[in-house]
Amino acid sequence: MASPFSGALQLTDLDDFIGPSQNCIKPVKVAKKPGSGIAKIHIEDDGSYFQVNQDGRTQKLEKAKVSLNDCLACSGCVTSAETVLITQQSHEELRKVLDANKEAAPGQQRLVVVSISPQSRASLAARFRLDPTDTARKLTSFFKKIGVHFVFDTAFARNFSLLESQKEFVQRFREQANSREALPVLASACPGWICYAEKTHGNFILPYISTARSPQQVMGSLVKDFFAQQQLLTPDKIYHVTVMPCYDKKLEASRPDFFNQEYQTRDVDCVLTTGEVFRLLEEEGVSLTELEPAPLDGLTSSVSAEEPSSHRGGGSGGYLEHVFRHAAQELFGIHVAEVTYQPLRNKDFQEVTLEREGQVLLRFAVAYGFRNIQNLVQKLKRGRCPYHYVEVMACPSGCLNGGGQLKAPDTEGSELLQQLERLYSMVRTEAPEDAPGVQELYQHWLQGEDSERASRLLHTQYHAVEKPSSGLSIRW
Amino acid sequence: MKDSLVLQSRVPAHPDSRCWFLAWNPSGTLLASCGGDRKIRIWGTEGDSWICKSVLSEGHQRTVRKVAWSPCGNYLASASFDATTCIWKKNQDDFECVTTLEGHENEVKSVAWAPSGNLLATCSRDKSVWVWEVDEEDEYECVSVLSSHTQDVKHVVWHPSQELLASASYDDTVKLYQEEGDDWVCCATLEGHESTVWSIAFDPSGQRLASCSDDRTVRIWRQYLPGNEQGVACSGSDPSWKCICTLSGFHTRTIYDVAWCQLTGALATACGDDAIRVFEEDPGSDPQQPTFSLTAHLRQAHSQDVNCVAWNPKEPGLLASCSDDGEVAFWEYHQPAGL
Repeated sequence: MASPFSGALQLTDLDDFIGPSQNCIKPVKVAKKPGSGIAKIHIEDDGSYFQVNQDGRTQKLEKAKVSLNDCLACSGCVTSAETVLITQQSHEELRKVLDANKEAAPGQQRLVVVSISPQSRASLAARFRLDPTDTARKLTSFFKKIGVHFVFDTAFARNFSLLESQKEFVQRFREQANSREALPVLASACPGWICYAEKTHGNFILPYISTARSPQQVMGSLVKDFFAQQQLLTPDKIYHVTVMPCYDKKLEASRPDFFNQEYQTRDVDCVLTTGEVFRLLEEEGVSLTELEPAPLDGLTSSVSAEEPSSHRGGGSGGYLEHVFRHAAQELFGIHVAEVTYQPLRNKDFQEVTLEREGQVLLRFAVAYGFRNIQNLVQKLKRGRCPYHYVEVMACPSGCLNGGGQLKAPDTEGSELLQQLERLYSMVRTEAPEDAPGVQELYQHWLQGEDSERASRLLHTQYHAVEKPSSGLSIRW
Repeated sequence: MKDSLVLQSRVPAHPDSRCWFLAWNPSGTLLASCGGDRKIRIWGTEGDSWICKSVLSEGHQRTVRKVAWSPCGNYLASASFDATTCIWKKNQDDFECVTTLEGHENEVKSVAWAPSGNLLATCSRDKSVWVWEVDEEDEYECVSVLSSHTQDVKHVVWHPSQELLASASYDDTVKLYQEEGDDWVCCATLEGHESTVWSIAFDPSGQRLASCSDDRTVRIWRQYLPGNEQGVACSGSDPSWKCICTLSGFHTRTIYDVAWCQLTGALATACGDDAIRVFEEDPGSDPQQPTFSLTAHLRQAHSQDVNCVAWNPKEPGLLASCSDDGEVAFWEYHQPAGL
């Protein structure tokens, strides 16, 4: 069976072959206690294990747990069937949390927050033949009907991601004389690409990747840090759900880098794909078309509650476009009114250049889909990469074509994609620098644009995954 | 029938290792063999003997599973369990590794050159088939990553004259691919085998395809174009492929390879029961329901599983085979009288 993860992730050993000699190699941490002694193990009817010490005291033993994150980082035994279980897990999880909230006493309830990506909104808009604004309002209405307290748009968070990305590029461009790994800057918003880079190219390629958090994870910081403070709650009292166009975002949310040790909570507790939201709607017997729209929630009082906002540069977040225009202005004093894309070997590999007096000052590219990632990586390895910046996305055609998006049985794939692009671009655009609330949060929440808090809450890091050297030599 | 296939020569090609695969160069003068010893050997004749003329030993860190010559005969590609594909350039008397293709997550099982020489296909245990494009400067670019198979892909082969690619897999299917726009897409899935499909081969015209399997059968598939006079249904402008013949009952173990002679149309199989068999289509049999006769059956062709059979492209009847016993054997096949 085909895995719903992106091509980049499917290539990283999510397969159904489990060698007979393969076993779980994850080290389980054993909390050793001082004192030696013989103890009996007693198994209760419910399957839990108890240790009976010599003095007769019993102590419940903790289960050893191997998390999803551990398994997917290993090249071992997670099979396609298990990825189906993983991918289907989430909307049941949300339902459980909402049901638990209904039973809980008022003071014990968790605040449930849903953040919706514009790609998912466009996909649902296409399915229900609505415009994006109506879709946003009706989704807000739906989620509140089932018990969610706040519904946000991830567009606000993307402003921070774009601003940090463009700032980082300028800084690294200026450093390129001193550091071989300063350029090219490779975009970081795609978790399928990140996971692939960590697993297969490791320490060679990770230094090139932008450290800016993706919109989902900036949203995680905003909700669990800023919004929690505003609501006078600790982060673990909030259950944060995101709605995303691809399954790979589930992996991103589960990264240890986005886990708050102090409060034992994740920045994003649960990721639903567009398809899973559609299933939720079906299970609730709701047609989005017939729902009464509700007002949009704003994360701050400055954020527009009238209509969603967007960015320039297409359905994958606009990283190339924003970084390019910012860099042209900041580094060369050139205002770029219109960004022109030159298709290269295929439609998912396009180039943008900034030229002055016949000299190329900047050369940027978008590389979508695994084949283009492959060619990019090989050029980098051979020291033949001509680009200063590359917007990398694992899905062919980018995020609007994510694996979690809704398919349309009656529409050709490329036609549906054009429809999504149209819906995506219908939303009013604003520059991240000018978006209401952004500068305010840089000052009052992050304590300045180059502060330690901004670095911690808007940036992340990457970790090369060691490949197990399998001695498996069965003849195949 | 026994005299139809006569041993000409036997050489210990990959001592203490399995010999996995053989490939003749386009002019039929050289044979490349590869094996578990991580080496590729190039065999050529001197007088009446087959001599090892070159050993390519520095390119791979694990088993070399398959090798393939470019249509011009100047390049050799090797697919290895080290997850890479090496491109070797033939110089005067030696081979130089000019490029290493990376990207597959694990073992590369097969490699094949398109008839134009501009495209190369590889397949892997990672379930994917990759299409690479070669430019004038010997640079290879990944054109497409095809994830249509749900399991380990064992073999890839190109149509003899068109840019049509076929792959065989552990998921029991054969898939066909063609270019659409700037990408490659799966245009047909051939289902019918009940176990792993180990190898596939086009007939000389490219209108038929033979596949061999762990289910101990060889299936012959025929291409039906839209609007064909047999009335076989096609979806859109894509041809349909139908199984028109199944050779069953002849093989007692897994069939690892099938080779369709481009000169004579004879079909040779390599079997896990250590035997080599040759089949020929019966004259006058119905093209829509052809029948094949067993014209040669050599038990104990090797002392272990036969992994590969390869017909010489220029000399009719010259067949090479290789085995888990590490040996390469050269056979002379004589078409029985009456065919």
